[in-house]
Amino acid sequence: MSGFAEQSGDTARTIVEFCRFARGKGLSAGVQETLGALEAAALLGVLNSDDLKFGLRSILCASKDDWDLFEECFQIFWSGALDASPHATKRQQEHASRVGARNPASLMSTASGDDVSSERDGAQAVTGASVGERLTKADFSTLPQSDFAALEQIALRLFKHMSRRLARRRRLATLRGQVDLRRTIRRSISRGGEPINLRYRQRKPRPHRLVTLLDISGSMSPYSLFLVKFLYALQKHFRHVDTFLFSTDLVEITNLFRARRLQDALQALSQQPAGWSGGTRIGGSLREFNQIHRRKLRSSDTLFIILSDGWDTGDCGVLSAELSAVKRRVHRLIWLNPLLGLKDYQPITSGMSAALAHIDVFAPAHNLESLLALEKHL
Amino acid sequence: MGGSKIIPSGGVNQGAANQGIDAIVSGFERLGYVTDRSLATAVYLVTKLRKPILVEGHSGLGKTEVAKVLASFLGTRLIRLQCYEGLDVSSAVYEWNYQKQLLAIKIEEGSDKTVEEKERHIFSREFLLERPLLQSILAEDASPVLLIDEIDRADEAFEAFLLELLSDYQITIPEMGAIHAKHVPYVVLTSNRSRELGDALKRRCLYQWIDYPSLEKEMKIVRTKLPDIEQALARQIVGYIQSVRGLNLSKPPGVAETLDCAEALLALGKPQLDEDAIEQTLGCISKSVEDNAKIREAGLGTILAQST
Repeated sequence: MSGFAEQSGDTARTIVEFCRFARGKGLSAGVQETLGALEAAALLGVLNSDDLKFGLRSILCASKDDWDLFEECFQIFWSGALDASPHATKRQQEHASRVGARNPASLMSTASGDDVSSERDGAQAVTGASVGERLTKADFSTLPQSDFAALEQIALRLFKHMSRRLARRRRLATLRGQVDLRRTIRRSISRGGEPINLRYRQRKPRPHRLVTLLDISGSMSPYSLFLVKFLYALQKHFRHVDTFLFSTDLVEITNLFRARRLQDALQALSQQPAGWSGGTRIGGSLREFNQIHRRKLRSSDTLFIILSDGWDTGDCGVLSAELSAVKRRVHRLIWLNPLLGLKDYQPITSGMSAALAHIDVFAPAHNLESLLALEKHL
Repeated sequence: MGGSKIIPSGGVNQGAANQGIDAIVSGFERLGYVTDRSLATAVYLVTKLRKPILVEGHSGLGKTEVAKVLASFLGTRLIRLQCYEGLDVSSAVYEWNYQKQLLAIKIEEGSDKTVEEKERHIFSREFLLERPLLQSILAEDASPVLLIDEIDRADEAFEAFLLELLSDYQITIPEMGAIHAKHVPYVVLTSNRSRELGDALKRRCLYQWIDYPSLEKEMKIVRTKLPDIEQALARQIVGYIQSVRGLNLSKPPGVAETLDCAEALLALGKPQLDEDAIEQTLGCISKSVEDNAKIREAGLGTILAQST
């Protein structure tokens, strides 16, 4: 607490220095906050360090992340250990550990490494139109490792575009809504109060509910990573999203997907014991879904997406029965199958042919282009 | 702004701050809200700097309660706006009373008033329905506490509107002109973090994160809210809930659930917490089939053993 006992001018300087220090550590505090911090310090005084800390914290923080970071900043700054060089900022450290952690899950092993580079040289990585075209059409499973960073960039950009288009399209599609009394009366004054021209008010478009089941069994592993990212991007534009993974068992990952950064979501996902690259029991997983999560489906507005290659080691009768049960409860049932991208693929595996009778849309999901084409079904 | 102007040299003011915060802690406690110095300091700054405060935290931890208690502590009115998806200006700020306006127009049909006079009449205060935000601006005698609950549920457009209100404390009604606040309200916003709020709004606010309470604090809360409960039973319940929170449920029980559970046990006349009692009151703390299953899976006996 050495800085505290000094003169008031020094105190102000110390507060300003602290704000700058905290900003350097990754706290999102601007000039406004610094001024606020000075005001608070003037009010609270510097004698009681706890009060000052709590006060500064409520001024300088704007989110839970900031809140967690603040404690450390305050500790370091006022313990006199101002030489911050040995401490890389916490967020950097986090990032490093995330990247460094090699994970057995197929998902993470493909993800690591590329994310750093794509983030770091985000602006420089110029991809020409032809390269972009080639990558959009490339099958995920045959894509060389070196192209992943570029593909991911394109993917994130295109996913964003797609969602923007989706939002716009719905707005135009809505028809006339209720009569807007307020405007009607305003207009009627010039006619002596007779409401002749009616004004209307539209209902804001409500996005559908989205339920997705992603197959993460061994045969799907070349695709899983991209599909996970696709689902993450997709969920932002639905009012309500439930996301599940399945191989032999069903695992709900809705909560993990709520992380606000894709990185955090993937990190959380990699720690979830979900049977990556195991066998497949689509029918069994669906039965589990129907038993426990059935109430999440609403026939009026639920979109149900299954991402799987249809290689089922379980009983096909079960799959067929469970699918028809799902079908009765959803607005639309979509099955995305990466294998559909292969030229000579026929959906004749017993599982797939049993399923075909119940699904509304059967589409490929082997490359970026096919994922983006999904837009017209959403 | 020079530093010397902002930071007073004497220690008088600082003592006042200290007392002010103490007063908030004890005042809140008297009103049945157990708080810590962190929240009290933030509330103190709200009253002094007159900035809005954004309170975030999991559900059932008393975010909304902060505003209610603040209002009774200051002896002022609480105006509450519950946000929801699709909340619009006509239900948050003001609306004209259309039926009454229509009637007025009909009544005046025969009169020889000019159109301008008629218009002025039907767009006067008499026909204005004041919704919470306008009410908070119009308060005549003292600053009210304005609670904007679950702001994350409202959409971005409303958030932008709010931003304007919170910077000028002024509302413009096209037919009447701008209305300034006579008394700037104390504003408390709460959020469950179901979506990220805009930076500009967060910038404008003080921030307070409310975490799950420590064992001691939660004990104190239970004993404050339920003075009749036995010390040992309260200790058991709080320990039990605290270990349930470690189970990675989709909706971990908050303090509200602790109190529900304790009340339920009192009503059932259970002298102590056992597996039976937990089973009977499971509905108080877990609100979904999945969470129920998770708790049972962890073993009621095991949880009980951990918590004591």
